[in-house]
Amino acid sequence: MASVKDRNASAWLLPPVPGTNRAMRTDMAQFRDEEEVDIAIVGCGAGGSTLLQRLARAGWKAVALDAGPFWDPERDWVSDEAGSHHLYWTEPRIISGDDPVPLGSNNSGRGVGGSMVHYAGYTPRFHPSDFHTYSADGVGADWPLEYGDLKSYYEDIEGELPVAGEHWPWGDPHSYPHSPHPVSGNGELFLRGALASGITAKVGPVAISNGRFGNRPHCIYRGFCLQGCKVNAKASPLITHIPDALHHGAEVRADSMVTRIEIDDKTGKATGVHYIRHGRARFQRARIVAVAGYSIETPRLLLNSACKRFPEGLCNDFDQVGRYLMVQGAPQTAGRFESEVRMWKAPPPEVSSEDFYETDPSKPYKRGFSIQTVSPLPITWAEHVAAQGHWGGKLREYMTDYVHWACLGALCEFLPQAENRVTLASEKDRNSMPVAHFHYSQCDNDRQLMQAAQGAMEKILHGAGAEEVITIRRFAHLVGGARMAADEQHGVVDADCRSFAVPNLYITDGSVLPTQGSANPALTIMAVAARAADRLIAGGASKPT
Amino acid sequence: MTVLPLDPKDGGGRFPGIDVQGQSPHWDRVTQGVVLARLGRPTDLRFFTVAEEAAARALFDQLLDQRQEPRVPVVNMVDTRLAEDQTDGWHYDDMEPDPAAWRSTLAELDAEARERHERAFAELSWEKQALLLTDIQAAEMWRGRQTSRVWSLWTRYACTAFYSHPLAWDEIGFAGPAYPRGYKNLGLNAREPFEVADARPAQDPAAHTAKSQTGRQR
Repeated sequence: MASVKDRNASAWLLPPVPGTNRAMRTDMAQFRDEEEVDIAIVGCGAGGSTLLQRLARAGWKAVALDAGPFWDPERDWVSDEAGSHHLYWTEPRIISGDDPVPLGSNNSGRGVGGSMVHYAGYTPRFHPSDFHTYSADGVGADWPLEYGDLKSYYEDIEGELPVAGEHWPWGDPHSYPHSPHPVSGNGELFLRGALASGITAKVGPVAISNGRFGNRPHCIYRGFCLQGCKVNAKASPLITHIPDALHHGAEVRADSMVTRIEIDDKTGKATGVHYIRHGRARFQRARIVAVAGYSIETPRLLLNSACKRFPEGLCNDFDQVGRYLMVQGAPQTAGRFESEVRMWKAPPPEVSSEDFYETDPSKPYKRGFSIQTVSPLPITWAEHVAAQGHWGGKLREYMTDYVHWACLGALCEFLPQAENRVTLASEKDRNSMPVAHFHYSQCDNDRQLMQAAQGAMEKILHGAGAEEVITIRRFAHLVGGARMAADEQHGVVDADCRSFAVPNLYITDGSVLPTQGSANPALTIMAVAARAADRLIAGGASKPT
Repeated sequence: MTVLPLDPKDGGGRFPGIDVQGQSPHWDRVTQGVVLARLGRPTDLRFFTVAEEAAARALFDQLLDQRQEPRVPVVNMVDTRLAEDQTDGWHYDDMEPDPAAWRSTLAELDAEARERHERAFAELSWEKQALLLTDIQAAEMWRGRQTSRVWSLWTRYACTAFYSHPLAWDEIGFAGPAYPRGYKNLGLNAREPFEVADARPAQDPAAHTAKSQTGRQR
């Protein structure tokens, strides 16, 4: 395998000091709207950026349009919780169902780099079992590919981010390119509690360089990973894939909201994308279109692209668009210690356990959950306390005890269900486009997992010596909504992320995932996009001219 | 040095001498600008009407137990967010978007106070306000809405404003922004030179509550 620098020189293209390489941005390619580019990619997050970098390297004329800004970490990001609200997608959306899922904060990103700008940094692989849960357990779905099809892409991306952690004993056992980071009080308590309760816990896997990586510096353990890493230590496509893409002739067109994909009624093929930039409606011609707007905006764009050939929405002949949208149950349990924990020091992602990831035949539920350290900052911690019903004097008093609490979070594999979906609302956004309506309800298996995960976290915290524990029930991550499947009656795209309905339309983001495991999805989204890029380059689709 | 009033029996004074603002020379300039702006003159109200302002002030004082000056200017901070539509964007299908939901729930709060006591919420005594809020929180539904959704709207905005303020950080022992300095002393009971130890570590507010509690994010 070629060295990372030979495959992706992003870390060496950044300046050797904090900040960004401005010249690369001012000098980058600028394709004209009338010019038919080889590919127009909608969205510059985990999936879109990876695809862009791969195709630019292969010599494709590639442009990625993103609705948000082209971040400059030094100017745009702060070491402050409330001051980081602009990192989230906060355009109007409607939520409903038995268990409506709040959006716009932890589960949706904005701008170049996408949600990985504010994700914690956990990058676990999916387990081999994740790719055939239906065959094995009668729940979820089977992917049209297996773990082995993604394995080399996992390894590649782990090298490019890079990922730090101990040898990983779960799923397909593997090692990481960087050694594990030192842990804080929070991680120390997780390791201690796990040992006491017979649970295996390991340091990692986090996409934060441990040591210098190219021109990216070492982590400074300041704990504000969720507010965007000003240090350039935590990986996001903004620093791991975009620099290399620009260096190879790609264009990133920020502040460009794509509103519709154009389909030629005669050929049934995509001809480009309509978008709004700086208040003006424009149209970029493209030979291939790839959508990477994530699980809410991707289905919304397809539905908003209804045309004569696709009256119910693009690629929606079989009513699959927007369906099987998943969130992970993400309860967080905190424990009180007489020692000072100061859990906000060091990155929130430190230690995890995948001991409960697989189906346990002795349990009444299928599939499982993972447990990881999380380290809420003051505003988020106040949410934990307020969720217990405290307000007024009791809330203030509880909050003065902040230094004594440690906090764990679980990711429960909630199952994909057809009725959990995005549809269009009558309400419109400032571009006059109908907004997404996200309906979500849990099933019984989901609720059992949530309860079991809470029990395991309480056991670990008590094992570490906690007296009291408090739990907040919440959700994290989004995947699905335009899933891959074996055929067009069960999904929107094939294993190569090519849509069944339109031969030159691809979807390369988290919305194609048929199941989610109990892993944070970023690494898998990148791996799936990297594989799709390989297939495109190899000529699975029509070759570039 | 300014300290928010909080009785020692309620957790006040656990971190004697802590001074987050005094650390600001160690922050990067952009963060300084954002955080120190919260210490300047509170913004003029633009969103709340006069009646809404009165209800909101009383509500925030109750939710955050701010009974006297100096206060974190929560009503001004929330007003700015709503005036600039700095919301999370989403809303429940049976609730209005946040700015409209604020107007209607404050109006309902006044209506409830008038029905019970023939006065607006802000005109009630501290005890009557607290009782009224206790009743609202305990009910499943309140004036045609799911209480949890209203309560969450109120507490989310209140807590986001209050716990973004350096004076509140002093109160909870949080040393604030950490870039470009970072931390070098990780681990249990490990402190940086600028961090202050809890003077009363045994003052555990959870000690007399149930050993395991569960709530839900809304």
